[in-house]
Amino acid sequence: MVTVAPPRAPAVRRPAAWLVAAAVVLAAPAVLPPFYVYLGALVLVMGLLAASLNLVLGYGGLYQFHHGVFYGVGAYALALTITRLGWPAWVGILLGPLAAAAAGWAIGVFCVRLTRLYFGMLQISLGSLLWAVALRWYPVTGGDNGIHGIPLPAPLQTLSGAYVFIAVTAGLAFGALWCIVRSPFGATLQAIRDNPQRCQVVGIDVRAHQLLAIVLAAGFAGLAGVLYVVLERSVFPTMLFWVLSLEIFVMCLLGGWFTFSGPLVGAALIVVLRAFAGRHTEYWTLILGTILILLIFFMPEGVMGFVGERLRAHGRGAVGRRSAGPAAGRGTPAAVVAEGDGAADPGAGREAATPPAADDAGGTEVARG
Amino acid sequence: MAELLRVEDVHKAFDGFPAVRGAHLSVEAGRVVAVIGPNGAGKTTLFNLITGVLTPDRGRIVFAGEEIGRLPAHLRCRRGLGRTFQLATIFPRLTVFANVQVAVLARQGRSRELLRPAARFGVEETRAILEVTGLLSRADEVAGTLSHGDQRILEIAIALGSRPRLLVLDEPTAGMSPEETAATIGLIGRLARESGLTVLFCEHDMDVVFSVAESIMVMRQGRTIVQDAPEAVRRHPEVQEAYLGAAGA
Amino acid sequence: MDLTAVTSQLLVGLSRAMILFIVTAGLSFVLGVLRVPNVFHGSLYMLGAFVAWTVAARLGEGPGSLWAALLLAPLVVAAVGLVIERTLLARLYQREHLMLILFTFGVMLVLNDLVKLTWGPDYRSVVPPPALQGAVVVAGVAVPRYNLFLLAVGPVVAAALWLFTHRTRVGKIARAAAVDREMVAVLGIDVSRVFALAFLVGCYLAGLGGALVAPTTSITLGMDHTIIIEAFLIVTIGGLGNIWGALVGSLLFGITQSVGLLVWPQFAIVFPYLAVVLVLLVRPTGLLRSVW
Repeated sequence: MVTVAPPRAPAVRRPAAWLVAAAVVLAAPAVLPPFYVYLGALVLVMGLLAASLNLVLGYGGLYQFHHGVFYGVGAYALALTITRLGWPAWVGILLGPLAAAAAGWAIGVFCVRLTRLYFGMLQISLGSLLWAVALRWYPVTGGDNGIHGIPLPAPLQTLSGAYVFIAVTAGLAFGALWCIVRSPFGATLQAIRDNPQRCQVVGIDVRAHQLLAIVLAAGFAGLAGVLYVVLERSVFPTMLFWVLSLEIFVMCLLGGWFTFSGPLVGAALIVVLRAFAGRHTEYWTLILGTILILLIFFMPEGVMGFVGERLRAHGRGAVGRRSAGPAAGRGTPAAVVAEGDGAADPGAGREAATPPAADDAGGTEVARG
Repeated sequence: MAELLRVEDVHKAFDGFPAVRGAHLSVEAGRVVAVIGPNGAGKTTLFNLITGVLTPDRGRIVFAGEEIGRLPAHLRCRRGLGRTFQLATIFPRLTVFANVQVAVLARQGRSRELLRPAARFGVEETRAILEVTGLLSRADEVAGTLSHGDQRILEIAIALGSRPRLLVLDEPTAGMSPEETAATIGLIGRLARESGLTVLFCEHDMDVVFSVAESIMVMRQGRTIVQDAPEAVRRHPEVQEAYLGAAGA
Repeated sequence: MDLTAVTSQLLVGLSRAMILFIVTAGLSFVLGVLRVPNVFHGSLYMLGAFVAWTVAARLGEGPGSLWAALLLAPLVVAAVGLVIERTLLARLYQREHLMLILFTFGVMLVLNDLVKLTWGPDYRSVVPPPALQGAVVVAGVAVPRYNLFLLAVGPVVAAALWLFTHRTRVGKIARAAAVDREMVAVLGIDVSRVFALAFLVGCYLAGLGGALVAPTTSITLGMDHTIIIEAFLIVTIGGLGNIWGALVGSLLFGITQSVGLLVWPQFAIVFPYLAVVLVLLVRPTGLLRSVW
């Protein structure tokens, strides 16, 4: 669980361990067969995408139902820059995240006016609009075929080259995300997640912060889209379709969305499972759906949440302190209130703290489901 | 002493239902003022109007000489208004330390700082607030696991993080045991005396009100009946009839 | 473009809107009472179409077979939905909202593949009952009889729903539960039975929509994805839980799609989405009031 109390994650502080890990990751192409290198690259791409979603989902508490749009925008931006504008790839690689961030701003500006379900619905509709346009605009976007065989600069043309580029970029991106999460903004964002109304009266402009979070998340998602193009050399409209967005959700849930590493773990599991399941069966969707249902019933805090809770329980066993963290809270009835989600939980009525505010100058409509 | 807050003839209706219709309030700097009234009198709505959670349909709200009736809540806070809610609204997943630190960071204008770790900022100030409110020993605990009474105190601590000039407390001792109530009253008294904080609160517990308030405003059905010193209020005929008849002596 | 083309296209759009309405009404009703946006509602729609195909195929060429399909398919789908609700969904009502949505997404994934397992990946088709085949000339325009049938069914379903929620005891209880379930429980009514019933109605409508649409389009595996998005969007612009809102939204959706086909066929699909976006930008909480 990420907090802003004096950090107690000693593992993060040991540079030597990080250097070794980096060396291992970068050495992969020299050691592993191509299929595994490809898989590794895909894991990093999806992990970055899932981590970017988690910035607004796990840390921000927003129902970002169509996060995949920004991923698609970044990918298409790179593809179009190279194939339609004829500009150098490096320009496209920079443009991708920027275009995605701009889309994040455009969509976010309208969505942050709303809460929860409405937020998610409006996002789906705006995103679906983009998908529909991409699907039909043959001359520009390639329509439902997408664009294939996108030419890349020489160093990126081989799998190893692409892999190294992806690994380094993703690594830097994860580092940046880590900084953001530990920063004052990250703390503020989590506070907004826990209680937007409290933040308002503490002097925080909730909407402005949520919008910033969405823009940042969109930018990182766009970067993931760019990396995907580097790996696959193709783009498809399905990258903009909402089903992909829900898959990213599943990755976050599977890994544990209250942890930083959760989304990466979830993405790794899904990508690997899909690759191996794909060899034996064509019913991957069935497997994914079953995993999701089992998760919801038996391990809602995800793999990392589960692991974290076990570690905490061990560490505190002697002292006798109650195991902290959302996992502990979730099982008890009090947790529903403690999660501060009173209005979103179907079991609860309206939040009793304030009367239903129809519209007001600055307060967020917390009470609306 | 200067008047810090003035509420003039404020009205607010919800879908036609008039929750507040003609509320008046005057709070002098450095004082402790209480608002009392039976259930449904409109106290919480009034507090929401003062702190910006709601905007009034009619009337003025003037804080430190500035009309704030139309300002959004977060800007009112920057002007010096702090507040706690009737139900303990803290940040349950963050630690006690982080709960207060968020408010301090906001006051310092750092809430959008992206790159440097939060652990570097506002630490001293946060610890000072936790010490004053008696929560320092609990700094690393997750706020959601605190007892109800401690959560209410944490709420006050969070509000203190924004260094308010006027602290608005909505039923601060609701649901507390006698010991917790006494501790909270002591805290409020200390804050008022030692930091010159102006406190406005509403309560149902009459002992609390009369032990610490210097001026009391009585509301009934959305209206202000009277605002005066405690003894004068106790003797006021309409107040006795509406409210204190059963509880007071 | 001439008047007959316009009229013809609008009529097609209206009958499409009727299907959308039936499906969306089910989704909206469930959303209103249970407060769950059921993502696998679209899968039930798809299931209804496939089951209708199976029934028609089993019963052979006779005139009654299509009518039997239209009658039976929604019932089968409703039964499936009820089983899922009672065994799994009901256990999640106390959980965080997001978990419920994700659960329904999981079921959508599972049902999608189960349909693929059962019927295979090829697309199917079904012809309308003989009485509804062919076209009728109305004001100089040739209108398929089946479309006219759909135009009649829509209002019938709307009326039936209204009667159910306003004139029957269980329906009124369901409406009350949508607004305040604690109060309903306090009155001694078993809220979970109300939920089961509401869910049953919703699933039935999904299956009915699927069965009705079967003769007009190819029955494929992607049906669930497209319809659920459309239904979600219509529910959002109509007002969460509001059945009349579902009607208004469906009409808007169907007609804008027709307009799109007339004006810019290549981008026809964009028009309804654009309309939805415009509505939401102007009235983010929907055209009509949400039921809560």
